[in-house]
Amino acid sequence: MYNPSHLEATVPAMPPMAAVGVPTVNMLEATSLVKYFDRGTVNEVLALDGVDLRVQPGEFVCIIGSNGAGKSTLMGCISGCSPPDYGRTVLDGHDITFWPEYRRASLIGRVFQDPLAGTCSSMTIEENMALALRRGRQRGFRRGVTNSERELFRTSLSKLDLGLEHRLPDQVGLLSGGQRQSITLLMATLIKPKLLLLDEHTASLDPKTAELNMKLTCELVEEERLTTLMITHNMQQAISYGHRLIMLHQGRIILDFDQEAKKRLTVRDLLQHFHSAASDLSNSISDRLLLG
Amino acid sequence: MSFFAITGAIEQGLVYGLMTLGVFITFRVLDFPDLTVDGSLPLGAAVSSVCITNGLDPWLSLLPAMVAGFLAGMVTGLLTTRLKILHLLASILTMTALYSVNIMVMGGRPNVPLINSPTVFGPARKLVASLGVSPWLTSSFLFLFLVLAVVAALIWLMRTEFGQALLATGDNPRMITSLGVNTGFTIVVGVGLSNSLVSLCGALVAQNQGTAEVSMGVGTIVAGLASIVVGETLFGGRRIVTRIVSVVVGSILYRLAIATALSLNVFKPSNLNLVTASIVVAALSLPRLKAFIRNRGYRQKRNV
Repeated sequence: MYNPSHLEATVPAMPPMAAVGVPTVNMLEATSLVKYFDRGTVNEVLALDGVDLRVQPGEFVCIIGSNGAGKSTLMGCISGCSPPDYGRTVLDGHDITFWPEYRRASLIGRVFQDPLAGTCSSMTIEENMALALRRGRQRGFRRGVTNSERELFRTSLSKLDLGLEHRLPDQVGLLSGGQRQSITLLMATLIKPKLLLLDEHTASLDPKTAELNMKLTCELVEEERLTTLMITHNMQQAISYGHRLIMLHQGRIILDFDQEAKKRLTVRDLLQHFHSAASDLSNSISDRLLLG
Repeated sequence: MSFFAITGAIEQGLVYGLMTLGVFITFRVLDFPDLTVDGSLPLGAAVSSVCITNGLDPWLSLLPAMVAGFLAGMVTGLLTTRLKILHLLASILTMTALYSVNIMVMGGRPNVPLINSPTVFGPARKLVASLGVSPWLTSSFLFLFLVLAVVAALIWLMRTEFGQALLATGDNPRMITSLGVNTGFTIVVGVGLSNSLVSLCGALVAQNQGTAEVSMGVGTIVAGLASIVVGETLFGGRRIVTRIVSVVVGSILYRLAIATALSLNVFKPSNLNLVTASIVVAALSLPRLKAFIRNRGYRQKRNV
């Protein structure tokens, strides 16, 4: 694998992992995930080509790759919204391979790219947060929002510094996309998830709001030492944040930088990797055409 | 318009208010346009009537009617969530099948007369009379009591954890799935609940008019939608309490409007469904129409 050790360190480092050097049980073990789309038709696409991914508890992994590389497909396989055709997924010791999406939700917190996708616009801020507070729990005929929970939500929202702690009974539809994405982040971490999945969660926001949300993400992740996978198209973001950087290409993990290697990485290096991967693409296409 | 026509319209508005609450659960809460109701209304009527003619207490007969409605709704829900049939089509399929089922329930006949059978209004009439109210208003009072009970129950339900999950299922299924709710389950239960209310309405209507008919469900969904949009247009609240209450008020106002138009000979009774459908089209297109007019004014100003 390519070792970029000759490159200069240009970005601030994340605090080191607590468990470095200590043998740990992996939080996430995804083994030979394979995912086809439109299998058996002329449109057949191999979106994941045997992906193996081991993530340690508390590790923050950035995932990059060109469009169609399989980033979102990989996340879909882990979250269960589009389960893989082959492969095994173990999360926190539970074999979740055959768990449906809603059952996996008890272990996984998620934030989507679309800032409107993570909240219910017709419901109030407190109702949305109460829904998140019951993630993975049986929902019965107890009250949907209680007074003690409101107190918790106020404390949680005051972290955002947006004044939302005074607007609990307001409809979420009245808020901006950036505010809604911040609330979604809080909601995803309200109950500590075993795994936090962030699918380009700042890509649809303006630069300033994106930065605010990224800062909030870091605070939340560090505070609870959350195991996190984050997809991003922003190279600088991928370099600056997290303990590890992986690059997907054509459904495979082609690069895997640990914290040390990542420190020396620059945006230019990453772009070079993209270009060399793209030229591999044309080679592999001709190989496939020749060899069938 | 006579006093009897007005009280009659209010009585209809109250009893069909139960149906409208059912349609509200699917159409507004779950965002699931459900046409099963055209079949589950006569289903409730048929089940209740057959139970009564076989000697069951009229009050108790409402229970199997509601259970039957729940099952009919479940079928539509399962066709949608398990077999991935489009919700609208799934409900049309169930509605069509229910036509045969309803005739089967009624022993192969298209109607069951209840003229000489006991109904829920018998014991209620004595109670209302003891309060010094004209026995003519018995069914109105009974329906008012039942509608208030169902409204209270629905308001309570929508504030529970399960009710919140129902609301979220209609608003953002992807989000609520990622928070651990099986939307397949909430949809099946929600559509079932909706149709059990519609069947309850059908059972009461049959007992009130003294007969269950296979054709009594025609136009149920359109009347339900019209009542909902009438209520929403007049109240337009966002809180769930306001929305639920406005549904019932909308149902009463809708029946009053129809009765008024009929008494003034504005249109013939056979034109009712055409008029109602037109009301729904007008009400549903109102927001777009408003926006269009607003934008047109803006453009004209810019052109000056």
